[in-house]
Amino acid sequence: MALGDLEREVMTQLWNAGEPLTVRQVHERLSRDRELAYTTVMTVLDRLAKKGVVTQQRADRAYRYTPAQTREEMTAALMLDALSAAPDGVRDAALAHFVGRLDPSALTAAIEAARKGK
Amino acid sequence: MTALLLGALGLTLSLVVPGVLAGARWPDRAPVAAVALWQSITLAGVLCALGVVLAGPQELVGELGADRPAGAAALVFALVVATVIIGRLLVSLVRVSLRSRARRSRHRLLVDLLDTAERHGELPAEVPAGLRVLDGELPFAYCLPGRSPRVVLTGGALRVLDAAQVAAVIAHEQAHLRYRHDVVMESFTAFYRAVPGPLRSRAPLDAVHLLLEMVADDAARRRCGAAPLRGALALLGDAVSPDAPADLGDAAAERRRRLDRLAVSDRPSATVLLTLVAVLGAAALLVLPTVIVVLPWLDRALSAWPL
Repeated sequence: MALGDLEREVMTQLWNAGEPLTVRQVHERLSRDRELAYTTVMTVLDRLAKKGVVTQQRADRAYRYTPAQTREEMTAALMLDALSAAPDGVRDAALAHFVGRLDPSALTAAIEAARKGK
Repeated sequence: MTALLLGALGLTLSLVVPGVLAGARWPDRAPVAAVALWQSITLAGVLCALGVVLAGPQELVGELGADRPAGAAALVFALVVATVIIGRLLVSLVRVSLRSRARRSRHRLLVDLLDTAERHGELPAEVPAGLRVLDGELPFAYCLPGRSPRVVLTGGALRVLDAAQVAAVIAHEQAHLRYRHDVVMESFTAFYRAVPGPLRSRAPLDAVHLLLEMVADDAARRRCGAAPLRGALALLGDAVSPDAPADLGDAAAERRRRLDRLAVSDRPSATVLLTLVAVLGAAALLVLPTVIVVLPWLDRALSAWPL
């Protein structure tokens, strides 16, 4: 399984849990339907922590991990990033949109509305 | 004289020509050639500026009839300014590309973590490798260029578009990725940021962006037909515009132009002719500053030839 897919599944477990999880707990949840090394899960969580996507706290001699943002918050932030221009108003060449030029403030409102409507 | 000519040409290229070309409608029918023309206009402008800097001081000293040290100083000054111009452009290019690379890699990480493509049965049967679905109601689509590219659709886009329209949108984004439109946009952005305030113009940036959208539209039209693409453009645009502020009028006009050109199919001969003329123009523009610099020099060299 590709590393990216594993990262995504680890994040899904953390988001679904709703509470901080230890490496062992994440490993248990993921190995219900497949063979997976404990150290692999540990490495993945460590990588995600280094990237700032999950936070690591020490409790009872074990690290516990939580997502830095909820799934909805992260999605909204990402959409906003995808749709906003650089500070000087120049469209960033980093991303190309299908719809063309968009106004960030209108989009923030739309994203907020979409989140509340769910 | 050389410096004056080059200066006039450079100012025309950076202040007058962009406005004229941005207002023209023929580029809609030959967008690839028009992008080439924009590139050559920009590059020729830089060449003119360099030419002025290199030829100007020496000519000035010559006119004033000054002695040798002044001539040498003028030459040094010219070289320094030319180096500054080139350096500024290069620094700007590196900055823009580093910045967008960092933004892309962060964005790619997050979009991979949030991907829900597996849960969307309505996606086309052969899902392209880099396709990601973001669970959000706002319907839009975009692509993430780079060595490991992604095409991103939102859940909202999948909800409003039918299968053929989704395929057309994916084809459009893949055309952006395949032809590396991001590199073209980055070079124009870098140039824009490097030019000093009073001389800088948004016209090339905006015009080239729209032209690249048209190039991607053409690729999507070839693969999926015009009808689904038009449908997708109309649906995705409308979904964002209801409470759009006034300055989005531009975006609406741009979409109108894209829809209009997709409604007609040009005769290939007309497109070929336009493309040929534009490409020849682009080539001529690049040659012109060089000729202006080289001709007087050649003239002098020939008259000094000991025969």
